[in-house]
Parts: sequence; structure tokens; C-alpha cells
Amino acid sequence: MDALARAIARPEPVEGLAIRSPLAGLARRSVGFADVLAQSVSAVAPAGAAFTTPLLVSAVAGGVSLPALAAALVIALLTASTINEFTRRMAATGSLYTFVARGLGTAAAFVAGVGLLIGYGFIAMFALAGSGYYLALFVTRLLPIAVDPTLLAAVAILVLGAVCFVVLARGIRLSTRVSLLVEALSVTLIGALIVAVIGANADRVTVLVEPDAAFDPGGFAVAATLAITAFVGFESSAALGVEAKRPFASIPRAISWTVLGSGLLYLAASAAQTIGFDVTGLDPATSSSPTNDLAAALGAPWAGFLLDVSIATSLFACTVASSTALVRVLFSMGREGLLPGAFGTAHPRFRTPFVASAVALPVVVAVPMITVFVTGGVWAAMTVLIIFAAAGYILAYTLACVAAPFFLHRIGELGVWSAVKAAAAAIALSGVVLVYLVEEGGGARGFGVWGFAALLAAGIAVYWIRMLRRPWLRHAIGVYDQAVAGDVLGGIPEAEWIDDLETVDDTDTEGRRGG
Amino acid sequence: MAGELTPAAAGLHARQPKAIHSAFAVLEEVARCGPGVNAREISANLRMPRATAYRLLNLLVQEEYLVRLGDLSGFALGRKVAELAHLVAPARPSQAVRSIVTSVRAHLRGGVHLAGYAGSALHILDEDPDYRLSDAARLTRDLEVSAMGRLLLVETRRDAGATSGFVAETLARGFAVQTGGFDPARGCLAFPIRDGDGRLVAALSLCTASERVRHPGRLLDELRDGAERLAPLLS
Repeated sequence: MDALARAIARPEPVEGLAIRSPLAGLARRSVGFADVLAQSVSAVAPAGAAFTTPLLVSAVAGGVSLPALAAALVIALLTASTINEFTRRMAATGSLYTFVARGLGTAAAFVAGVGLLIGYGFIAMFALAGSGYYLALFVTRLLPIAVDPTLLAAVAILVLGAVCFVVLARGIRLSTRVSLLVEALSVTLIGALIVAVIGANADRVTVLVEPDAAFDPGGFAVAATLAITAFVGFESSAALGVEAKRPFASIPRAISWTVLGSGLLYLAASAAQTIGFDVTGLDPATSSSPTNDLAAALGAPWAGFLLDVSIATSLFACTVASSTALVRVLFSMGREGLLPGAFGTAHPRFRTPFVASAVALPVVVAVPMITVFVTGGVWAAMTVLIIFAAAGYILAYTLACVAAPFFLHRIGELGVWSAVKAAAAAIALSGVVLVYLVEEGGGARGFGVWGFAALLAAGIAVYWIRMLRRPWLRHAIGVYDQAVAGDVLGGIPEAEWIDDLETVDDTDTEGRRGG
Repeated sequence: MAGELTPAAAGLHARQPKAIHSAFAVLEEVARCGPGVNAREISANLRMPRATAYRLLNLLVQEEYLVRLGDLSGFALGRKVAELAHLVAPARPSQAVRSIVTSVRAHLRGGVHLAGYAGSALHILDEDPDYRLSDAARLTRDLEVSAMGRLLLVETRRDAGATSGFVAETLARGFAVQTGGFDPARGCLAFPIRDGDGRLVAALSLCTASERVRHPGRLLDELRDGAERLAPLLS
């Protein structure tokens, strides 16, 4: 103990530490585990996905929907565990984009960065369109007035988008607390309904182990792929690397718990639906609103209303959480110089990426509004938006899994198990992204896939051109929150709270709160 | 080492002895090697399996006892380590002890240090503020090099009946000597301080020019006198 005791009594000065983090300006180390967990859970929106996903999966997988969901859960757990190799070691706001930059370098980082921006952006648009749709539905139920439903939905999207912007700008704690409250409510409602359905029909659980169709490997793969899209967003708490207290503990835990919790919820929901349809004799494929029909057939029409409320609130929480992550990736790119520097500025009082929010949110509101008018309905718009989001996410996940062993090798910490895990996840995810794109590309929504490919190419081209004009960017990509003097024993004590100062560009404020 | 922990830590120690011991060993190794040491070096120095070392390092980073520096491969002690102070730092010697050591310093030219022993470990209890130890880390690590360390080694090996080397010499002399171990021109004398049962509890040492260490003369009486006065206060 002597070297330790001596180090404490007379700390050896540690040189080469910055006085403040390269990501200073955000509310560093300010949110606890509950907020970090809320960020990941809300971005996944398990309450919403718990109903749509088992239906989508059982439509293609038939009797093997539970195994397909379980396979998706295993792949998601492997991916989460590989991403946690980064989150345990690096605190960043750029999430997977920064991780890929640190493992595979600039070119791969562009692909992952554009993929991630598409993922966060389009899931935010999808969720905003969804919550707008439900809000419009409630308004027409409460006030039976003759308004064009498409116009009403567009207005609802605008209003909810404005609320989302205020929440985002006012501070990270407000964002995560709103998401936490809303998501907890939704998951509780869903959980209660699942328990009620299974509990009331406990004698029928045997239908779960009676496959009524022959095993079809192709269908199983597509079903597992669809199921994986229900998990996307679990890594979004990695974007809170700077703002989380004890980020190396809370973020990996939040990511693992989110994947495991939502996976179990999906399995339970799938079981409950299978039992429910078996008991009532309804066919999910021919029903227009299966959950509502199911609730009505089970003698609880009010449950359908509750479900709608919980799905709507869950979608709004998802909008807030995905936008929270989106603006932090933009903030990271602004700090590096990949985007104009204004993106990297923080609000002096709220300490949030204000400029990034002010630019991103109007886009997140405008795209679904335009899509609603073009496609003529909210639901049609949502099915297109989700293709962009899922493809972008899975692409970024795949690259992160490939990057992990390279990153670990570079810092000299590559172990056998980490390498095997990352390889398994990367292979499974590349298979998934191919199956997904081929499946959707050949279907009625094929233009979504081509649109995604075009957007991805355009985004990469923009970044590439920007980097050709600024060659130094090659070495600036991938900023993360480095240990500052105040974090290290033997760092400069005066610097301890410098990065709490309000503005980034304000350089003459040193020492105002020092000491 | 275990004997110095607080009751709470001792409880942990009893339930998870290996893990806690390893975690402290990792912290100790980072403190010894200094900022910038990487995971491979730590696992090699401690002869710990790499996977175990990586896991412990990441756990200590999670708890913020360790911090990753610059490119993320090097480690340094985190500010939170200071919270362990009461666990790892030996208690400050009493006023009576310190005033005796000060009075010995007033009579001798050179560094007068007081070290304590706990089990097989050596702690510096009172370092001479005017003549700092040249390499305190090595002193507590390589016990054979320092006079204070040799006293402790002799104590643990005396039953083995050594007949040669510094063990026999020290047993014959009654105190330990070292020259040129840290600085070619300097050396050190260490006088044992024993409790009522004859157990070695501490040492009073003088570090000065090698020539004076080899021919201490009057210096020896001053040290012996100081050690005798300290014995009842330290045992």
C-alpha cells in the first residue's frame, strides 16, 4: 500500500492534461443512472415496439416467432456487449461515429456517422409522425369537428416538434426526465396488459410450443431481422458520455439493461398475442387493427384506448431521446470541424447543443410533414421513414462491431473473448442488414431502400469534399471527453471546475471558480 | 496489510479476499509505475492473467479510482483515490514520537527517517523534511536494497540460520547498513525498535555520506539512544 499512500499524500504531478475537455460546454457529469437509462430505453421505445414487432414477426415467421425474437435478442446482446467495449473506455457525444473513428479511421467513420445521423434522424421523424397521428386521433375523438385528418396530423406534428425543441434546448435533465416518466408509464401499461392476458388464459400457454407450420429458414432470417429493428436505439445513451455522472459505469449498464429488458418485454408480448389470437380465433393477418380487435374480443375495449395512449406517449419519448442523441452527434462533428463550428457551440445557460438542435429539429419536423402530404397518410409515411432509420442504425452497429477489435488492439487490451464476440456480432449484423435491404428493396417500399442508399452516398460525399478542403480534419475526427486535470490525482487543482464555465469560447474566465 | 484496514474494508476482505486484494494490487502498481502505465505492463508486472487485469482496470475506471489518459491506453490514479487515504495511509505518529525524532535530527547531520513495519510491509512514518528519501517507491519495493528493508528481511529470515550475506552481518551487528544502494556516494544506517516481546515494530534510520556510514562512531550512539526512547511509544 505504500506507493498508493505516498501517491495520495504527495501526488506525482501528471503532465500533458488539458485544463478542460475538448467537449466542454455541455453540462459535464451532471445526470445520474436513471437519466442515462431513460435515454436508451426511450430511444428503443419498447412500449410501442412491443405491439408492432411481434405482429410483424409472426406475419413472416408464423409459428416460430418466439425463437426468431429470441435469436434477435441474442444478436442484440452480442452487439451491445461489443459496443460496451467502447463505452467502458471512452466517453463521447458522437456515440458510434466516434467509436468507429477511433477503431477504423476517418473513412469508416464517415459511413458510420452518416448512417447514425440517418438512424437517429429518421427514427425521430418516424416517432414524431406516429405521436402526431395519435394526437390527431385524440383531438378528433374529443372534439368531433370536420377537419381534414391529414392537415390535423401535420399540425399535431408541428406542435409536438416545437415541444420537443423546447425540451431539448432547456437542458439534458429535462429531456431525460420527460422521457423517463413517459416511457415508465407506457411500459407499465403494456406489462399490466400482458400479465392480464396470460394470467386469464394460463391453460392455453401450450399453444406457444406447438408450431403450426414447417420451419422455413428464409422466413426465420427475415423475421429475426425485423425483430432486430425493434432493438435499435439501445446505444443512444453513449451520446451522453460527457453529461453522465460516472459514464464508464452507467452507460454500459444502461445499454445492457435496455437490450435485456426490451427483449424480455417483446417475448412476453409475443406470447400474450399468440395466446390472445388463439383464444379469440382472430387472425392477425386479416385484422386492420389487431391489438384493438384483440382487446375488444377479450372483453376489454377500454384496453385498446389505454394501448393507444401508451404507444403514443412512448413514441413521443422516442422522438425526444432520438433527437437528443442526434444533436449530440452533430455537436461532436461541429467541434471537430467536420460540420461548421456553430454546430459545436453550447448554450451558455442551459449547456445544451443549442445550435445543433435549432438546425436539426426543423428538419425532423419538416420531413415527416412533407412525407405525410406526399404519401397521403401518416401510416404510409411511417413505414417509409422506418426503413431509412433501421438501415442506418444497423449499418452503424455493424461498423462499430468491426471497429471494436481494432480499437482494443490499438490500446493493447484485445482479449480472445472480445474478438470472438465482436466477430460474431459483426457477421450476424452484416447478414441482417443484407437480408433487410434485399427484403425491403424488392417490396412495395423499395424506394425507401434506394432512398437510403442515395442519402448515405450523398452524406459521405459531402463529408469527403469537406475533408479534401481541410486535410487536417483527418487527425481531428473522433473527439472524446479526455481526462482533465481535475479528474486526475496530481492534476492541476485550480483547473478542477474550469469546464463548468458557461461558454466554450470564453477564454479569459479561468480561475473565476478555480480553487 | 490486512491488519491496517478499517472494519468495513476488513468485512469485504473476508468475503472477497482475492478480488479486493487484486484490485488494491492494481492500484498500487499504477501508483508505483506512475501515470501512463498501460494494461499490458500492469498484467505483466503483477503476473496476473491479462483478462483479469483488463477487467479489474475497467472496474476501477468505472468507479473512477483510475483514469485513462490521452490516447486511452495509459492509466493514472483518479482523484477519487484520495478517498482511500484513511485505508492505506499509516496513521501519523503521535506528537511524543515526532518530537523525539526531531530531537535526534537536531543532533545529526543527514536524513533521519522513522519507518514502521506491518507484516511483510514497510511504511515510512516520518520522513525527514530537510533530506527527502531519494526513491521512496523503490525503498518499499526492493527491501534488500535499503537498510530499513534489510532489517525487516533479517527479521523474517533469522530462523533460517543464514550464515552469509547481509543477513548474517546484520544479525552480528544488531543494526542494518547499506551503502551505494540508491546513490553511489551515500548510504544508510537503520536501528531496530522492538516492543516488549522483542518483535520488530519500527526502525530509526540515518541516511548520510557513505564514508560516515562506514565509520559512524558517535552517530551510532545518537541513533541507539533515539531508538531506545522511541521503543515504549511505538510498541
